[in-house]
Amino acid sequence: MTTTDQPSPVTATAPALEVENVTKSFGPVQALKGVSFRIARNEVVGLIGENGAGKSTLLKILTGVHQPDSGVIRLSGETVRFRRPQDAVANGIGVVHQEQSLLTNLSVAENIAMNAVSSKDQAIRFGVYRWRKLNEEAAEVLNRVGSSIDPRTIVSNLSFINRQMVEVARALRVDEVTHTTPVVILDEPTSVLERNETEVLEREIRRLKDIGSVIFVSHRLDEVLRICDRVEVLRHGELVAHRNTDSVSEDELFHLMIGQDSRAKRHSRDKGGHRPEPVLAVRDLTRKGAFRNVSFEVVPRHTVAIVGSIGSGREELCRAIFGTEPFHSGSLLVEGKQVRSWSMREAIGRGFGYVPSERRVEGMVGGLTAAENLTLTHPGKSRAGLVLKRRARNDIAKEWFERLDVRPRNPGLRLERFSGGNQQKVVMAKWLTAENLKVLILDHPLRGLDPGAMETVAAQIRAASDAGTGVVLLADTLEEAIEMGDEILVMRDGEVTARYDLSVEAPTAVDLLAKMV
Amino acid sequence: MSTVEKPDVNSGATTAKPVPEPRRRFQAGGLWYTAGPLAVFIVFLVIVAVLQPSFLAGGGLKIASVQATPILLVALGQAAVLLVGSIDLSNAAMALVSAVILAKTLGSLGAVAPLVCLVVVTLIGLINGLLVVYTQVPSFALTLGTLGILQSAALFLTKATTVYASSNTEVVTWLFQTFLVFIPAAFWVAVILAVVFWLVLRTTPIGQGMTAVGLNETGALFSGLNTRLIKVIAFALSGFFAGMAGITIIAQAGAASSFGLGSDLLLPGIAAAMVGGTAITGGVANPINVVFGALIVALIPIASAAIGIPATAQSLVYGLVIIIAVALTMSRSHAGVVK
Amino acid sequence: MTETKPHPEAGAPTSAPRARAGARSGLRRRVELKSVGEVGALIVIIIVFAVLNPGTFATLKNFQTILDQASLPLIVGVGATMVILMGSIDLSVEGVMGAAGMTFVLLSANSRDTVDLGFFAVIVAIGVGMALGLLSGLIHTRIKVPSFIVTLGVWYIGLGVATLLFGEAAIPTLNSESLKLWPSRLTLGLPRSFLLALALIILGILITRFTRLGRYTYAIGNNEAIARDNGVPVARYKVYVFVLAGAASALAGVVGSMQLGTGSVTVGIGTLFLTIAAVVIGGTSLGGGKGGITRTVLGVLLLTTLNNGLILSGVSPNIQSAVSGAVLIAAIVAAAWPYRSRLRIVK
Repeated sequence: MTTTDQPSPVTATAPALEVENVTKSFGPVQALKGVSFRIARNEVVGLIGENGAGKSTLLKILTGVHQPDSGVIRLSGETVRFRRPQDAVANGIGVVHQEQSLLTNLSVAENIAMNAVSSKDQAIRFGVYRWRKLNEEAAEVLNRVGSSIDPRTIVSNLSFINRQMVEVARALRVDEVTHTTPVVILDEPTSVLERNETEVLEREIRRLKDIGSVIFVSHRLDEVLRICDRVEVLRHGELVAHRNTDSVSEDELFHLMIGQDSRAKRHSRDKGGHRPEPVLAVRDLTRKGAFRNVSFEVVPRHTVAIVGSIGSGREELCRAIFGTEPFHSGSLLVEGKQVRSWSMREAIGRGFGYVPSERRVEGMVGGLTAAENLTLTHPGKSRAGLVLKRRARNDIAKEWFERLDVRPRNPGLRLERFSGGNQQKVVMAKWLTAENLKVLILDHPLRGLDPGAMETVAAQIRAASDAGTGVVLLADTLEEAIEMGDEILVMRDGEVTARYDLSVEAPTAVDLLAKMV
Repeated sequence: MSTVEKPDVNSGATTAKPVPEPRRRFQAGGLWYTAGPLAVFIVFLVIVAVLQPSFLAGGGLKIASVQATPILLVALGQAAVLLVGSIDLSNAAMALVSAVILAKTLGSLGAVAPLVCLVVVTLIGLINGLLVVYTQVPSFALTLGTLGILQSAALFLTKATTVYASSNTEVVTWLFQTFLVFIPAAFWVAVILAVVFWLVLRTTPIGQGMTAVGLNETGALFSGLNTRLIKVIAFALSGFFAGMAGITIIAQAGAASSFGLGSDLLLPGIAAAMVGGTAITGGVANPINVVFGALIVALIPIASAAIGIPATAQSLVYGLVIIIAVALTMSRSHAGVVK
Repeated sequence: MTETKPHPEAGAPTSAPRARAGARSGLRRRVELKSVGEVGALIVIIIVFAVLNPGTFATLKNFQTILDQASLPLIVGVGATMVILMGSIDLSVEGVMGAAGMTFVLLSANSRDTVDLGFFAVIVAIGVGMALGLLSGLIHTRIKVPSFIVTLGVWYIGLGVATLLFGEAAIPTLNSESLKLWPSRLTLGLPRSFLLALALIILGILITRFTRLGRYTYAIGNNEAIARDNGVPVARYKVYVFVLAGAASALAGVVGSMQLGTGSVTVGIGTLFLTIAAVVIGGTSLGGGKGGITRTVLGVLLLTTLNNGLILSGVSPNIQSAVSGAVLIAAIVAAAWPYRSRLRIVK
């Protein structure tokens, strides 16, 4: 199944990074089996693969967190061996993780200096900080990536994209100390970025290309194709394909990644019959500083997808509808009746559900078992008056585990021990298990999931809709919105700028984008 | 759909967790966590019995259970608050105030007096809870403040001397005069309360709610739990248990004072809760283990005296044993970052 | 016990940080306002008591007394603040004071005629404090016992050491009059005890602002895991901070023993409550990463002045802890009030 498309060797000089036959096992689990690939200088290479394919293990080996069981790593022709993360940094490998790794109570300059391998002018001498030098050096580093952030800014005051920039600038510092070509690894940098922020990042990456090489790890296949020169595909611990990005399509990549035919086709839009009464009517809803005069209806068995970029207010809108945050004027009518006081508990009591984007913190209680999480909101048969019944709880959980194919099939395991995709399935089940789920609000439900899990969760959303729930969806991508929505609302700067009924017309991503910016 | 979904929590994009331990070790850890405090207690007893054989025969266990009773009650209340992720520094002071009130009203109110105490102190706990929940201030700081206020209240009520329960003491003294298996009824009452608490935690929605709030309050909130009510209940429980502790102080000694009897329960109470496996970060509490925690903590000074450790070294031993005991019984699986 | 910001940094952040970008400068303004609030409160207290007790409160002598009374909590406060900045807590203060104080007295010219090491006695006493701090730090970092329990244990251990040193003999009293009076003697019009505290405060501020030790303390307090990923040797620096706190407590024990004139196991009694209350009132966050020594100084001065004024006004000493408690509650409620939100989680 493995096919290789070797890129034409252009230069005679050694590749920036060469990985040869690297193997790594954790006990009985073989995470990497003989992985080999090369990255030339000034090249951007995408690394894709499902969760569990071995990407993070590979990255951890490249950054010195783990040591390979066998195999060789060469940087600019020299064999290297990393015993700890500092070794990788010292050899010119920098990484920007998906989770923020900045200390938010300190300034940008301090963060940049924190794990600097060396300092040109010894900004920190004998343990004493010379702030002026520190700030100067930081400004230099930021300048290299074209950023004008004041190095004295405290990180907590920075926007997310700016923090990302600081991280990139930090990763770049590596080249000061080495004679090897720096390799910067970007681990899922765009999964939480909005579209225009992604453009900023793309510019960054192009600039990075001049300085060194980039490994771009992502689930967003369209971006990988756009940003990278080549792609490496990992599956089950093996490198199954190398491709040039100008000679491969998304579908092919998908196929290579999961070894089966690509994603589900768009489902039938035919709802049949007349439009039922709305289960939720939003009228002129306003929240100062977030959104203004938003009106729309949520109808059973229909999905309203709301698209917009940062500042559009769509997240705040959804949270206001669920009762998480207040709204200042306007009204909500649930099944025709206006609500008086609104809160999360009110909403839940009326049959609302909310799958938040921050799953670990808001979506679940990681320390409880999967079964407990599943029955936390709507205990159903697992609760008899003042008592919880363990067996009933497990039965309910087992049923949902089967239905959603949650692995491992052990609802008694703490939810934090499941992979992200399986956690999300349990979180969804928590709401789906309600007797009468009227409105389900989904805030970036597929974010961070590997394509296989995405399929399952998307199927569940459709199933919920078919079962009678009205769905409000904040999609990660415009394609997702178009594929899953029956109606699309476009928001910009807090207002609804366009509406599309997909049974009547079919907007393209470009159409939507035009209304978003 | 993906072909193989290993439980590789390493790869989830928004979850970054360490590689899961193999199942065997996890279960063994769970067993230690459940039985740890009991095991430590037994080992402790064995060591003492070996070093001083007459200890057990001479009623050492009886003395330990007598001393352990107020500590246990205070520790149970503390465990309730620790479970939801907060802390109550004022509960020992609440116990003292309860004892003082009981001493002063026993004569006039007779059998109703203990109930009055319980109501008053539970209300104080309730107020603590309401303040923490509605003003959103750190419980450490708030209960530190309440502690100061209650200390003054006790001084004021006792006029800085010892107050004695004048009459009707038989309403409560039976607690320490009736014995079952050589152990006073008071201790058994505390144990029964611990068992009831344990059942509540494991089988009722409010118990599950308290655990959920301690593990992840935001997650619990977004799942529709009434987290405010849950926290207030935890603090009220702390008050209630403190009230019970105050009753046992009077039942045993017939008197209370700001400087002696009953004034020194805060640290032993916290130590007992933690030796009993209660996590200081929240979400983990087993009231039955707290029973053993209290016994261990109460046993330290008694055992060291019995073994012959000089009085001057008692504090030293106390400190060391507490550290060792908590180190042994701490639940490591939920550890994460230790502050 | 810990404060969680409404939108944690780790993991995929929501759009909220972006929306809040504008609110941040507002927040900064509010933080500065808060310090102004405390200074204002201090001024108000001073004015109130000056009016109530014209002859006794607003005098130079009383001012010096206040500074003298503040010096012990200030000294302890320097160490305590750093430990709290790191996200931990140090309950062993009174135990260390007792052990160090007793060591100092027994190693100076005293009624038991043990030995007189002169100034060296102070050094040894501080060494004792540092050893106890080292113990706390090592147990906390190696065996992973929460600092709450470790320092609780070391509190008892410290008291135990003091008791053992005290032994069964008579109370050791200091022989040298000049030593006993040293803390309250005036230099430049201020009591020496305060000047010592001031020196330590300045040292502490320099450390927290300009040295790796200080900056790493803030880093660890903000997020230990991220600090570690950034190359901070977390365990090592935690131990350093505990040792430093032990040294500070020991110094306070020495000065306290001088003031008492005798060796007493309970020389530090009441210091913990006062110091922690002062740190909190001052605005250093118990969760770590925010605050500083200057804030604690403010908190100590506030409480000391308040207590002094109350005593002068004839208020019963029994009320003191209630007043401190009430002030503490008022301060934290006032501080937290503007940030209230249904989603805010404060433990």
